[in-house]
Order: sequence, then C-alpha cells, then structure tokens
Amino acid sequence: MSEILTRSGLRVGSPAVYGGAAACLVLLVLPFYLDRFWLQAGLFAMAAALGAIGINLLTGATGQLSMGHAFFLAVGAYGYCAFAGDGADGLAGLGLPGWLAAVLAVALSGLAGGVFSPIAGRLRGAYLGIATLALIFIGQHVLFNAHDLTGGFNGRAVPPLSLFGLTFDDTELLVAQVPFGAVEKLWYLGLALLLGGVLFARGVLRGRPGRAMNAIRDHRIAAGVMGIPVARYRAAVFVLSSMYAGLAGVLLALVFQRTVPEYFGMALSLEYLAMIVIGGLGSVAGAVAGGVFVSLLPQLLNRYSDALPLVSAPGTGGIAPGEAARYLYGAAVVAVVLFLPGGLARLAARRPGKPGSGKSPKTPMHTPNTPTTTEPSGEAR
Amino acid sequence: MTAPPPPPGEHIPALEVRDLTVRFAGLTALDAVGFTVRPGTVHALIGPNGAGKSTCFNVLSGVYRATEGSVRLGPHELTALPPHRIADLGVGRIFQNLALPPRATVEDSLMLGRHRLTRTGFVAAGLRLPSAAREEARHRARVREIAAFVGLEQQLARPAGSLPYGQQKLAELARALCMEPKLLLLDEPVAGMTADERRRTASVIAGVRDSLGISVLLVEHDMGLVMRLADSVTVLDFGRRIADGAPGDVQNDPAVVRAYLGEESAA
Repeated sequence: MSEILTRSGLRVGSPAVYGGAAACLVLLVLPFYLDRFWLQAGLFAMAAALGAIGINLLTGATGQLSMGHAFFLAVGAYGYCAFAGDGADGLAGLGLPGWLAAVLAVALSGLAGGVFSPIAGRLRGAYLGIATLALIFIGQHVLFNAHDLTGGFNGRAVPPLSLFGLTFDDTELLVAQVPFGAVEKLWYLGLALLLGGVLFARGVLRGRPGRAMNAIRDHRIAAGVMGIPVARYRAAVFVLSSMYAGLAGVLLALVFQRTVPEYFGMALSLEYLAMIVIGGLGSVAGAVAGGVFVSLLPQLLNRYSDALPLVSAPGTGGIAPGEAARYLYGAAVVAVVLFLPGGLARLAARRPGKPGSGKSPKTPMHTPNTPTTTEPSGEAR
Repeated sequence: MTAPPPPPGEHIPALEVRDLTVRFAGLTALDAVGFTVRPGTVHALIGPNGAGKSTCFNVLSGVYRATEGSVRLGPHELTALPPHRIADLGVGRIFQNLALPPRATVEDSLMLGRHRLTRTGFVAAGLRLPSAAREEARHRARVREIAAFVGLEQQLARPAGSLPYGQQKLAELARALCMEPKLLLLDEPVAGMTADERRRTASVIAGVRDSLGISVLLVEHDMGLVMRLADSVTVLDFGRRIADGAPGDVQNDPAVVRAYLGEESAA
C-alpha cells in the first residue's frame, strides 16, 4: 500500500518530480558557474550529509546514541591516506590505487565499528553514548601520537583519488571552456556518493531492517518478543553507521587535501548530533537537510562576515564566524526541540500540496469509508 | 468477517509450566506455579492484581529469567532462551499496555510481525534487490488477509496512533497473528474496549482457536469473557496457584471466591 502511495506521489507531472529534476539539474551544472569556495562548501555539505545519514540510522532510527562518530570519520580519512599513500613523505602507506584505497577505508571503518559492536549491541541509548566517548579519547590520542601513521599534530597530505583513469587533482581539465580542477571533479563524485548513500539508507529504512530498527527504538522489549534479535541488530546498525562515517571521512579528506587530528574531536561528534536533531531524527531527508545546514552555516558567516553585524574576522574584536555559527546552530537545536519536533524534514513534509503530510497525526488521511467505531470511548484513557 | 487465515500446517505443541518460581530481590513473585495449556485450547490465567500473571507472561516470552522451574513448549525448554528465540518457536504475545509505534501505518506495524518469517537483510533492502521486493509483496498480501480477519482492512493505511484505543489493541492482536504463532499469549486483550469491540475481539480469539487450532493463554479481568471463552482456567493469588480446572469448577471454588472477595464473604 505504501509503495503504491509513494509511487502515485511520484507520478510524472506532479510538482515533486519537476522540483526534484530541476534541483538535480542545478546541482549538475553548478561547477560551471560557481567558484572554488562555494564548490568546496558544497562538498563539505555532501560529506556531512553522508556522515549524518550514518548517525541518523543509529541514533535517529534505532535510538542508540553515539558520541564516537568523529572517530569513524577519522578512521575513514586516515585509512584512505594510509592505503593510498606511497610512503614518499616518510609516513606509512601501501601505495594502492585511490579507488581501492577508498573502498578499503570504508571497509576499515566498518571493521572498527565491528570491533566495537559487541559493546554497541549490549548497551542501549544513552549508555552507549557514554561508552562511545572512549572512542574519541582513544582516537585523539592515536592521531596525535602515532606519527608514522598519522603524521602527528601536522596531519598528513591526502593522495588524490583516481578512478577510471581520471585523477581528482588540480591538473586542469577543460570541460566546455571551463577549467575543471579538483573540486569540480570531486563535486560529481560527491553527488554520486551522496545519491547512492541516500538511496541505500532509504531502502534500509523502508524495508524489513528499518521496521526492526524502529521497533527497537520504540519498544525494545516488544521488539525482542516479536522475534527481532535486538543485540544483533544494534551491532549491525552500528557497523553500517560506521561505514557511512568512513565514507564521509574519505570524501572530507579528498576535499581538504590534508587530514589534521584536531578536526576529529568531540566537537565534530556533537556537530553530527546537532545535524540530525535540526534536520529530523530517523529520516534520510532530515540527515541531509541537517548536514547541509550545519556545515554551510559557518561557511556562509565566514563569507559574509563583513556584511553581518557583530560578526567579524577572527582576532578583530567581534565574534569570529566559526563561533557565531556555533551560537546559531546551538540556538537552532533548542528552537527545533521546542517548536519543531521532527526537524527541518518534517517542516518540508508539512508544506501544503506535498504528499507525505499525512504522517502528522493531526491530519490523518480521511477516507470516507471509515464509518466504523470511531467514537472513542477508550481514547480518554 | 472474511475467511480465517489458513493454518500453518504444523502441529501445535502443548505448553507445560512446572514449578515455576520467580524471585526479585527477596520478593517471590511466582511460587512453584504449574499448569498445562493443551494444544488448541484457550487457557485463562486469572487472579487479583499483583497475583503474578504478568510476571508469568514475562517468563514465558523470555523477558524475565525464571529462578527455578521449567517451561516447555513441545520439545523445547523456554527458560534459557532469549525473547527472539522464543518468538522463533512460534510464541506470539500482546502486551497489557500498547506497544505499537504511533507514527507507522497499521500495515507497517503488522509487517513487523512478519519479521521472523522474512529474510531480507541490510544489503538486500538497501540495494532494493528483486528478491527483497518479492518477499515484501508476498508478506504484505498475507498481512492484508490477517487485517481483514480481525476487521482492520479499512485502517491499514492509517498511522496506528490515530486509531481509537480499542482498534489499536486489535491491531496489536493482528500483529501477533502475523507471526503465524502456535501459541498466543494475550495480556488483557479487551481492556479499555467498547462492548462492540469486546465482542469482536472475543470472536477473533475463538476463531483463532477453532479454525487455526492455535493455543491461547489469556490473562483477562473480564470474567464474563473468560467464562465464555476459556476451556480451562488457572487462578493465581500472591504468586501461588490456588485453583486449576474447568471454568465452572473454578468459579465455585471457595479459595477463588476468598481471593477475589476477601475472607468475610467466603465464611
């Protein structure tokens, strides 16, 4: 039934389809018009969206809090460097082809999640959040001190990715009279990865695993009694979430072109939690919206700090853009929790004329053929 | 009501509870309780509040661990198994308080009951493999049959939380039926229902027994319903079994009257 509903909602000719197609087209032509700054900001947003999908599968859909998301991003980013690096800079590197290194880095993140998954399977909710704090501290210690692998405080350079003979570096490639550097090429890679990540996560959430995950979140005991192996599911979702984080880490590393340890700290984990709260817990659209919002906000403030009151460049007396962005999304988290439970994704769903607004309990889909016992004698209980 | 779902085709085992004792830090919630649910019967478990009925259910479904004693479903010992393994053996349960996700549609809630009968994993669901789509379609068809059996076919597309309370209880019963159980544990299935909904639920439970041959263990405070439906009754009071037998015999047992009405009226 729900498939039929979504299919009919995506009929050719419906505004949603035209809107989606137009948005895709715009995203595809952007590299021809935008400068490097905006493309880089967009790529950060894509990486953030991928990471946010991962943590939303775990925290939003399964109810398992994780403070260790930044650790798995670091595993992905440094894993890629270690697999792809050729050892010329004195740091450990296997010199594998870029694409293979990227795949292995994601697998490595999944493996790291798998090592932690016996704990992730046994602990629930906030308790897992506390346990995953340990990952951040371990991760930071290793990143700063394992010089041969991570380059220590200064981090290490990220080897460019190569795929089907195309290298994603700054050697210029002329496409329709527009020079394509690293960010332009990576833009398309990022779009493809994000699209794949979104589709995969939606498939998971709408299918059998998603129903089981939501059941564990809503009624843990009932979920077990319904035949769901709760610990095994929690562990599996933790691994999947780590792999999304690893993929986000690889993409971030490719965009930054350098990985530094201090980036992968506690603040990053909190940023990811802020993303899914602002965007909407438990939904893929929410993760993407929150990821884009939280990662673009500091960039926007940075860019327009001259024009904004109170905000100025760091060290000149006013509030630094990064700081202002934190205040703003701190306020956004509070505002969303108070006024918009369900986040930005629910706000979009509530817009009139868009299918899916029936999800809100205030507007049940009124079918005329329900004259049954709707007089709620028991509802007052 | 449309035709009932076809029987699962496997034989229904007996449930044997022997000397079941549960202690929580010094409090004895169940004290050497024993009874047998014969295959294909409705067996009622009754008693005043705090008698240990819900504790007994929680042990049977693996939520609590028994301190002593055994619970056997056919050849399987249940006391050592986790909840999902017990569900795999064909034990379905509804809870005293609602355990339906409020925002999911009724159909998706019922699909959760198919979990143990389906196989689609993360990779198949994420990649939308044809096998996953086929399995989903097949089981959705069966879910619609079961919804029609309990009379919820009109409500399938609605969020479960938007239904009146009685229909939510009915949806939970349907979800337990979607597990194709051999034994159904019903914890106060008609509590909070209107008279009409009670009649419908009672006929669903009778239908489950008569046409599917499923055993039912029923905890219920509605004595009229218990006396009409049950083939046998076990009475608990303060964690002990005080009576066991056919509904008519139990009803007139002096110990039962005393437990329900107090010492004075029995004298």
